[in-house]
Amino acid sequence: MTTGTVPPQPLTPAPLLSAGSGSAVEPASSNAYRQRSRARAARRDWLGIATVSSAAAAVALFLSDGGAHQFGSPAAALTSLGIIAGLVATDLVCVMLLLAARLPVVDRTIGHDRALGLHGRLGKPVLYLLLAHGMFLTLGYGVDAGVDPVAETGQLWQGFGDMVWAYIGLALFVVVAVTSLVAVRRKFPYEVWFAIHLLTYAAVAASIPHQFSMGGLFAPGTAQRWYWLALYVFTGSSLLVYRLLVPVLTTLRHGIRVSNVVFEAPGVVSIEMIGRKLDRLEAAGGQFFNWRFLASNQWWHPHPFSLSAGTGQGRIRITVRNLGSGTSRLMHVRPGTRVAVEGPYGIFSEEARTQERVVLVGSGIGIGPIRALLEDLTFRPGSAVVILRASRAEDMFLHAEIADLCRRRGARLHVLAGPRSLDVPSWLPSSAAADGLDLSAFVPSAAGAEIYICGPTGWTDLVAADAADFGFPHDSIHYERFSL
Amino acid sequence: MRTRALFASVTASAGLLVGGWQLGAQAVPDAVAISDTTSTPSTGTTSSGNSGTTGSGSTGSGSGTTGSGSTGSGASGATGTGTTSGSSATSPAPAAQEPSGQAASGSYTGSTATERFGTVTVKVTVADGKITDVSADMTARDSRSQQINTRAAALLRTEVLSAQSADVTMISGATYTSDAYLTSLQAALDQAGL
Repeated sequence: MTTGTVPPQPLTPAPLLSAGSGSAVEPASSNAYRQRSRARAARRDWLGIATVSSAAAAVALFLSDGGAHQFGSPAAALTSLGIIAGLVATDLVCVMLLLAARLPVVDRTIGHDRALGLHGRLGKPVLYLLLAHGMFLTLGYGVDAGVDPVAETGQLWQGFGDMVWAYIGLALFVVVAVTSLVAVRRKFPYEVWFAIHLLTYAAVAASIPHQFSMGGLFAPGTAQRWYWLALYVFTGSSLLVYRLLVPVLTTLRHGIRVSNVVFEAPGVVSIEMIGRKLDRLEAAGGQFFNWRFLASNQWWHPHPFSLSAGTGQGRIRITVRNLGSGTSRLMHVRPGTRVAVEGPYGIFSEEARTQERVVLVGSGIGIGPIRALLEDLTFRPGSAVVILRASRAEDMFLHAEIADLCRRRGARLHVLAGPRSLDVPSWLPSSAAADGLDLSAFVPSAAGAEIYICGPTGWTDLVAADAADFGFPHDSIHYERFSL
Repeated sequence: MRTRALFASVTASAGLLVGGWQLGAQAVPDAVAISDTTSTPSTGTTSSGNSGTTGSGSTGSGSGTTGSGSTGSGASGATGTGTTSGSSATSPAPAAQEPSGQAASGSYTGSTATERFGTVTVKVTVADGKITDVSADMTARDSRSQQINTRAAALLRTEVLSAQSADVTMISGATYTSDAYLTSLQAALDQAGL
């Protein structure tokens, strides 16, 4: 497979020297990495168990509270199924809100992007459960009262004001879920989608009255009451604290503002920012913030961008490519502009380490986070490989900086420029792909190494697949993907 | 999710569900047993004389499904002379004394209010214009409704006794029952002239 061909395109003289004897960060022992990784895996297990069990607990409480007797007749069985669907849906809505709440324990365990991915995947099942809830209950009540579902719906609608709110809540949930389907979501500008997504709170609020009156969730003297009260209070306060209070306090405390905007390449700028006590942000290389530039033309639009340099030297930096409407305004952000931040988030960082050696692979705008990681990760000179990928050499922004960092920290650098391969699916330039090269041409061994990959979605997946083939264990492959 | 965690999740969930089912299955049988035994002989008749212990007379009325029974005045260990249970008509209790001239004293039975989960007939005992006791005769569609009714009746009774009127809050999780209860109660209070 590897024919020993020289890797294509400009290969920067690979400096192995550890000139930077003042290499700031002392690597941890492999034991420490393993311990941390085991602790995280255990946390992940517990969170998973707690999530699944919470849905089971919601049903178990219903059963223990008399629901266990409710399967005798068809009408009762339908009604009970409807109630159970509603209970599980309610529980999962809380789980979804908690996944989006930026809870530190969730972020440090599975990472912000995976939490949001899970949040998104739960959307459809929850919607189906909510629809089943309404359907089964209407059928169950209807069969019992001897009327057809339509008439029963009319009765429910007229019965109590709370039910009207419940129907409104259901309609809002449908709207939120449909607009979040990937295909539909792409049709809206981010701001519109976000505004619609905020309706979730209205949907939850509208569904609460009928949980008190029609539903038994809060019936006095039941165990359910305490379960739901606890879950609601926990969910609500998590959102309030971590989505509102903490970001506002962080923003006020650090008073971050733009100090400089630097041209890096056509359509790519670095935005440098200063602020008070930036080291106290405790942002690690590879992490990201949601940035909101408080200028009149874009204060409402938060941008998730990774750092492209560490927070040392009282400065903080992101590198941004112009990708259209939202980001084009960033190209012209003025020095002095105040910046509101939420973060730092993500475990695409030292936090995820399990091994002593590291491989960093970045493409396009993903080179920025790789630059920050390179600065921040702990490794011994000679035990790191950096691979940068771009279509054209002139698009290889931050190249000089990265080459310098590699020299000082003793990392080997490969720069791969060239158009992508059209016939073979490969993350490498077409010439290298044609030669049958893969990751093994650049990385001595997968054993005892960790790989961090950052770039466009399709490309990242190809690198991750190559890494898995090469023998990187699943837990040692970390990636952050950019999709539009 | 790792297999280990998946296994633990499934085990924990199964445990919770089985536990919940067991608790639920044990909790209600008493009530069901009562309604089963009493509902067979007494179809729509009164079974009086039983002074106010819970689950006295009851009817097997209701929506024809499963001959579901009912709780009798689950609220009280209260006085109450014979407990009536109108099948669904609004017959006043035979055992109740008629108001005898002086300012509102005696027992008054309200009209039977029918709601989607069953029926409620409330009886108030009044002495010198004060509500001294409230009891409710309820039929329920099924055992869960019955359980909800029992709980609601107990809470409503306390509220009514302290408010001395039908102007009390609805019980969470038992809106329909509360509504019917308060309607019947108001009818009884109207009879008493309160």
